[in-house]
Amino acid sequence: MSDASHPRTAEAEARGSPAGAVARRAFRDARVRTLAFAYLFAIYSYIQPVGYRHAYPTLASRVAFAQAFGNNVGLRFLYGYPFDLLTVGGYTAWRVGGTLAIAAAAFGILAAVRPLRGDEEAGRTELVLAGALGRRRSYLAVMAAIAAGTAILWLAMLVGFVIGGLPWGGSAYLALATTSVVPVFAGIGAIASQVAPTRRIALELGGAAVGVFLLLRVVADTAASLAWLRWFTPLGWAEEMRPFTGARPVVLVLPVLATIGLLIGAERLFARRDIGTGVLPARDTADPRFGLLSSPSAQAIRTLRGGLIAWAASVTVFAYILGVVSRSVSSSDIPKNIEQQLAKLGIGSILTSTGYLSFVFFFFVLALCLFVCAQVGGARREEEDDRLETLLALPVGRIRWLTGRLLVAAGATAALALLAGAATWAGAATTGASVPFAQMLGAGANCLPVAFLFLGLAALAYAVAPRASTGIAYGIVMVSFLWQAVGSLLGAPQWLVDLTPFAHIALVPAQSFHPAPAAILVAISVACAAGALALFRRRDLLGA
Amino acid sequence: MDAIRTSDLTKHYSATVALEGLDLTVREGEVYGYLGPNGAGKTTTIRLLLGLHRPTRGSAELFGLDAWANPVEAHQRVAYVAGEPFLWPAMTGAETFEFMARLHGGTDRAYRDSLVERFELDPRKKIRALSKGNRQKVQLIAALSTRADLLLLDEPTSGLDPLMEMVFRECANEAKGRGQTIFLSSHILSEVEAVCDRVGILRAGRLVDQGTLAELRHLSAHTVDVSFAGPAPALAPIPGVEVEHPAPDALRLEVSANMERVVEALAGHPVVTLTSREPSLEEIFLHHYATASAPSPDETAGGEAAAVPEDGGRHTATRHT
Repeated sequence: MSDASHPRTAEAEARGSPAGAVARRAFRDARVRTLAFAYLFAIYSYIQPVGYRHAYPTLASRVAFAQAFGNNVGLRFLYGYPFDLLTVGGYTAWRVGGTLAIAAAAFGILAAVRPLRGDEEAGRTELVLAGALGRRRSYLAVMAAIAAGTAILWLAMLVGFVIGGLPWGGSAYLALATTSVVPVFAGIGAIASQVAPTRRIALELGGAAVGVFLLLRVVADTAASLAWLRWFTPLGWAEEMRPFTGARPVVLVLPVLATIGLLIGAERLFARRDIGTGVLPARDTADPRFGLLSSPSAQAIRTLRGGLIAWAASVTVFAYILGVVSRSVSSSDIPKNIEQQLAKLGIGSILTSTGYLSFVFFFFVLALCLFVCAQVGGARREEEDDRLETLLALPVGRIRWLTGRLLVAAGATAALALLAGAATWAGAATTGASVPFAQMLGAGANCLPVAFLFLGLAALAYAVAPRASTGIAYGIVMVSFLWQAVGSLLGAPQWLVDLTPFAHIALVPAQSFHPAPAAILVAISVACAAGALALFRRRDLLGA
Repeated sequence: MDAIRTSDLTKHYSATVALEGLDLTVREGEVYGYLGPNGAGKTTTIRLLLGLHRPTRGSAELFGLDAWANPVEAHQRVAYVAGEPFLWPAMTGAETFEFMARLHGGTDRAYRDSLVERFELDPRKKIRALSKGNRQKVQLIAALSTRADLLLLDEPTSGLDPLMEMVFRECANEAKGRGQTIFLSSHILSEVEAVCDRVGILRAGRLVDQGTLAELRHLSAHTVDVSFAGPAPALAPIPGVEVEHPAPDALRLEVSANMERVVEALAGHPVVTLTSREPSLEEIFLHHYATASAPSPDETAGGEAAAVPEDGGRHTATRHT
């Protein structure tokens, strides 16, 4: 493009190259997701050092904490392997590396599949390639956009750490270790986008890859004899870079090589195949199956079936493992004062089996809240793609349609919650722990009032502001979830902290179920849903 | 009872006027052609008729049922074909038919199977694997096989090849024969000419002309081509007749007045051939849009009133007096 003997090329460059236009478009399309992740990364990175310093101000308290946690398998399962718990940096590296690395993996998959397979399925890739842009350049342009998004996440973490009081250099390296996960999973997402014929299958393949690599890390972190497995998962590489705990920057070679290999592989696949197809053939013809077609709700279940099965499978696997791990949590050698200090970190009496399970179910609440957002997002997608117009031109009422979608979402949420309870019980039972089955089902059911509240709020957002609704719904969930942590760290008054619904969840099974707050949450959610129905009945349908 | 009746039906999208003061009546059993260029408000009208969008002002009734307040009851007697086929990509054609039939009720399955054959559709194919034209067929078959009292068709043949377009015309005429009402929004004039009893012309959200094809033709100029043995004579000006000279020995007369005056004026001249033809729908249609942008000099030369009234709405026979 820089050939000066070509006057038209120079002119085109002055207006911006086609590859630049594609890169900017991809970056713009991803901006809401990028900002949401950046917000999450910045807040989470800030909370860790501040919270640790707040809870363990003295060396003695840190030593006691490290002794208590050094061998806690349950926490390693959730947060990864702690290399050093005596310093603010070491603690932060442990917490961030464990949790945000998973979010970074999800970000990488989404960031690659949306502009690659998503655009191709929508026919936009064809349009781009019909212009003056080759496959390789358009592919590289998309990768450049993902790199820019990754840089923003890195910057968000850096800002969080530095404001939280960590040194610049170590913070930059820790942020680099965590965000090194993004390009590797973007590479996996790129391969999945070449292999899968549809966006949905590509996302499922990518999600499965995240699950497998997470499972590898969990095994490596919890079983000392299998610690070498850490070298076989990008999530483990982030741990092995050991930020703040004897940094090993050489390990960075692994994600770099893996990324290059994956991206070249995806490019090769992209160069060979027909646009609009995947390496896997799409099944274009099928014998008709007439099940689940009797109503819009039944058909919604039919359409969502694959995703629901994937959710159920992941919830079952993780809940089962959590149940197994809960057995090895023991509080026998924990001094009382340490337990009190743990409570300040918002993790309660985590060092008993039931306490640990209660704590873990708090995360299931978050997962279910994200699930209901996805469900309402699915309803919006029907409208966005104008299929709702087709449906409502039939003798199908709007109230009936939206009520059906909300009930399907509520039912699926309840099923997942109970499944989580049952699978945890099964996991605990296999190791001989004696947690009553009914109590674990109760722990599952205890997740529901908050999830239902967000279902109602998401429905309301959908009725009022359909185009922005999905972003609003996820945003409310994330703000609410982090509200409590940030609020208590900043010493906010209790009433302010209590504004988030997450503050009103009883830690079942350690605590008993709180009927009054649960009833209030459910009542608000029903009111929101009723308001959503009334408002949706009165507005115009709104396409993309 | 009327199949469709709107009164003062109006839709504004923030500052944009999509439809203004539409008064429209379609009787049961009638086939009504709804003509207009892109963006004229055809789809908006249909969305209002289906209660998908809410009128800013006025109302729409289907079979006496308010389109916004009672959509479900109204839709039991209606089948709709959208201009773009928006269907479920993972379902096959057969599954889509079954789903829509169960929701609608009253589908004639035997007729549906015959339609699948006539439109040459493979119902085992998933929607995502079908071309736009084939997806359009899925919609058409699903709608036609309901035998609904009213078919609301929004550019139903977009994407169909000419052979399939002919099949559609046959099916539309069959539906008409069974007494079904059809509201056909289109900009394919030959299609409207082939199946419609009555036509309305929409421009920029307003109904600018309406009537049977014969009425519209009657109101518009006939074209009379005359050739002479020798140079064409200079005719004295006749009110309501415009004269063109396509060749030295020929005249073309656009006659919107009584033909008698033309015959009188030509009498005594050496006429060799004389042909008269009615305007095609295309000419009527183009006439409305040509005059909409700028009044052509021919028309002002004839001393006629400006073609398009600014009050929109109920324009009738005021144009050529």
